[in-house]
Amino acid sequence: MPKADHLQGSLEILILKVLRRGPNNGYAISTCIEQASDEVLRVEEGSLYPALHRMTENGLLKAEWRISESGRRARFYELTGKGRKRLEEEEKRWRSVTAAVAKVLRTV
Amino acid sequence: MSFWSRLARTFYSRRHDENIDEELQYHLAMKEEDGYDPRAARVRFGNPAKLKEDTRAQGVLTWLESLIRDTRYGFRQLRKSAMLTLVVIFSLALGIGANSAIFSLVDAALLKRLPVKDPQSLRSIEWSNRGWPDALCNMLTGDTSGDPNAQMQGSSIAPRIYRELAKQRSGFAALIGFSDADPAGVAVRHGAAEQYKLQYVSPNFFQGLGVRLRLGRTFSMNDDRVGQRPLVIISDRFWRRSFVSRADVLGQRLTVNNVPAEIIGVASPGFFGVQIGDWVDLYAPLAAQATLNPRVRLDPTLGETDTHWWVRLLGRLRPEINENRAAQQLSARFQHLVVHPGLHIEASKIPKLITSPGERGIDPVGADQSRALWILLLLVGLILLIVCANVANLLLSRAVARQRESAVCLALGAARLRLLRQYLIESLTLAVLGGAAGLLLSHVLAEAIHSLIRADLNIGGFDLHVDSRILIFTSFVSLVTALLFGIAPAWQLAKSSVSDALKANSRAILAGRLRLPRALVVIQIGLSFTVLVAAGLLGRSLTNLETMDIGFNRQNLVYASVNPWSAGYNPEQVNQYVERLRSRVAAIPGVLRAAVIEERPLSGNANLTVVNIPGRPYYQDDASAVLVNHVSDGLFETLGIPLLAGRTFRPGDMRAKSDAVIVDELFAERYYPRRNPIGQQFGTGPKPTEHYRIVGVVKNSRYNTLREATHPVMFRPSGTASSPGTNVNFAIRAAIPSSQLARAIREVAAAVDPAVPVVAIKTQTALIDHLLLSERLLSMLSSAFGVLALSLSAIGLVGLLAYTVARRTNEIGVRMALGASRTQVVNLILKDSVRMVAIGLALGLPGAFFIGRLLRHTLFKLATVDPLTVAISLIVLAVVAGAATWVPASRAARVDPMIALRDE
Repeated sequence: MPKADHLQGSLEILILKVLRRGPNNGYAISTCIEQASDEVLRVEEGSLYPALHRMTENGLLKAEWRISESGRRARFYELTGKGRKRLEEEEKRWRSVTAAVAKVLRTV
Repeated sequence: MSFWSRLARTFYSRRHDENIDEELQYHLAMKEEDGYDPRAARVRFGNPAKLKEDTRAQGVLTWLESLIRDTRYGFRQLRKSAMLTLVVIFSLALGIGANSAIFSLVDAALLKRLPVKDPQSLRSIEWSNRGWPDALCNMLTGDTSGDPNAQMQGSSIAPRIYRELAKQRSGFAALIGFSDADPAGVAVRHGAAEQYKLQYVSPNFFQGLGVRLRLGRTFSMNDDRVGQRPLVIISDRFWRRSFVSRADVLGQRLTVNNVPAEIIGVASPGFFGVQIGDWVDLYAPLAAQATLNPRVRLDPTLGETDTHWWVRLLGRLRPEINENRAAQQLSARFQHLVVHPGLHIEASKIPKLITSPGERGIDPVGADQSRALWILLLLVGLILLIVCANVANLLLSRAVARQRESAVCLALGAARLRLLRQYLIESLTLAVLGGAAGLLLSHVLAEAIHSLIRADLNIGGFDLHVDSRILIFTSFVSLVTALLFGIAPAWQLAKSSVSDALKANSRAILAGRLRLPRALVVIQIGLSFTVLVAAGLLGRSLTNLETMDIGFNRQNLVYASVNPWSAGYNPEQVNQYVERLRSRVAAIPGVLRAAVIEERPLSGNANLTVVNIPGRPYYQDDASAVLVNHVSDGLFETLGIPLLAGRTFRPGDMRAKSDAVIVDELFAERYYPRRNPIGQQFGTGPKPTEHYRIVGVVKNSRYNTLREATHPVMFRPSGTASSPGTNVNFAIRAAIPSSQLARAIREVAAAVDPAVPVVAIKTQTALIDHLLLSERLLSMLSSAFGVLALSLSAIGLVGLLAYTVARRTNEIGVRMALGASRTQVVNLILKDSVRMVAIGLALGLPGAFFIGRLLRHTLFKLATVDPLTVAISLIVLAVVAGAATWVPASRAARVDPMIALRDE
């Protein structure tokens, strides 16, 4: 299983992708990533929250306190326009990179 | 992220922290709800504080906040090791204080400009000529420099020539003329006369310099005419002192050398004249010299004649004017003016005018004094280097002791950069504290040195207040120092490895072989050796000067100076007064002899003339120059100058027409080799009007200088030519203490005529001390620096060795347990110390040689590499180093193997 550190570059794109479906809190984002990757990718809290705050500062996300499904106060993150645009770019870049890597793996 | 959001977040930082807390709490709670083991969840979660810190983005103000926290931590650290902190601040204060003090002296004496408008555009204008301009100038009042037989330079020109030059339009917006500052007896209202400095100045003096008057008006062209009622402008200082700043001072009268003069203005505050270090209190028009100066009043060949050159020049260059062209133009006019019709002179013998920077006015500080100051600045710079090395060493040893702490910090996730910053903050704090203490100290030191000079020179003194330049210099020095010693420990730190430092026996890896501290101690020793050699050379040179044979007995010899001219006496009255006072002084109990002498020996003054010996071609060369002094009967007996042939003066010689002259050995040898000089006749000048007859030959004695080879001396009876206006000096040989004698002299003088001021009472040794002022200053300060350098290096050596011993306690314990004797242990430390000292000395030797070369013009009768000085410095350093080694070595010898090993 890859360590969270190896996710450094991709964590941002995963967060953006999860939030594409709608606003969510940090805990839900991490479980969502873990489930979707069949527990292959595990998100370290030590990376997640700094990333969320950094992205908020950079204007990719908006943050807001709401009441979660469990009835507790939780901090919900939501994509901004800038975040959406970033996601598209990143997805495009990611696809081209993975395709290139796959091609190398196939041919060499 | 925008600056504003950072800013806003910094202010809401507590709220922000709580937000993060709550968010993380929620995360944990949800995890537990989802069935995770709470403990496992927490472990996976990691350090919440670190997470929080990482989550909190690094804003500018967050950085500042951590800076404040680090600073507070730094202060705590410094307080914790108070002794070390004190030693560091003390060394820094000494280094910075001594540097600022010497710099403020150098600044005041050598760098500061005149307090006038736009000093940079001022040019000092002097003449330059091949030899003395014989036919043009008989007498020069001012400065000359260079070789009178080759190229020489003179400061002054004739007053008429100056006025003509100033009238014409030239490249100089203003051409200012002024005399040397003269001492004058000045009485306010009906008070007793006191001596003040009086300067004769051109009408454009104040406007030309751009100095405003506080009150009244400046001189007009009309005031600068002989025969005009004398007018004076007084200094602000004089106004405040003598007129308690009264506004009705204008129009009041003073008596200047017993001549009434009207005050027409008060100069602006802080204006001291055009000579730095010399306060002028009264200004009068150039032409007033003929009325106010007693000597010029009585001697028609002086003052407003073309052959007496006494007007100095300062020109203010017009903006955008080529200086060379302006000088050439002025010079051509000058050459045209000095040659009056009927005078036949070769064109090559006419002086030309040259310009030099005049922003400092008339430079008061002689070449050897300025050299002395630069040498001091160099020595004090070396001290600062030693201080830096010392401080770096102390901090380095502390950094080593804190290495473990730093390693723990790093292991707990502190950024290396932040740790580095911590060290820099601490050193900067030390630098600021040391700099502030140094600034205080520099004030005290500069004042002390200055009062020493002032007491000797009896002048108004330099303007020494701490100005912005000294502040800048001090802060620069302390900042550079901080960086220098801040880098060393930080550098050490960057190399330290976290895991090594954390190992149980951390002592083993601490600082490796201490290469840097060792190098620093070695450098310190080398530098102190250099300073010691410099101090030794200067001290020995001073001793050579002080103990040289001056040709007479300097002990118990006192000179009392009075000025009967300022009481308005005519020459006849002066002679009578001098005779009366002399007999009264001779009658004081304890006084053995008293006589009159024109120039006191070794007071720095001398009169030079050129002899014209019959049968010997007349040349104005160095070999024909002789010194003249006018003395009364009994002078040689009073001073104790032995008579070699003929006779000394008798009272009968003291008449105006006497042709008797007494010469010294050198005179007789040079001009009458293998002949009997007694009875020989000679004159002075190219066409002698008087002929002197030698009646006696006396042993050589020092007249005006200790350093240079002296000229032959001729003595003339004092009754034959007294210079009006000048002081009359009594030489008194007494068997009572000089303070008691001084009191008795003042009583006697007051009894003879209370109107005649006693100007000075000086012992011969005080005169010599004054003559050797810059040598004494150099020697004293360099010795102080030597002691300072030595103690700093000793501290450095003790500190390093003590640390080595502490670090090697285990090793020493093991050695002793295995049978090493105490001597062997001591040798271990000793060898270490000897090696460092030896390398330091080897490095210091070239430095000592270099310093000797630098000092070659200052040293008297001493080679630049003086083996004795080097040997003594070596011994002193070795003894001090030995003592510094003893403390840690004996501690090493006292190590108890049992305790040392148990500690392991």
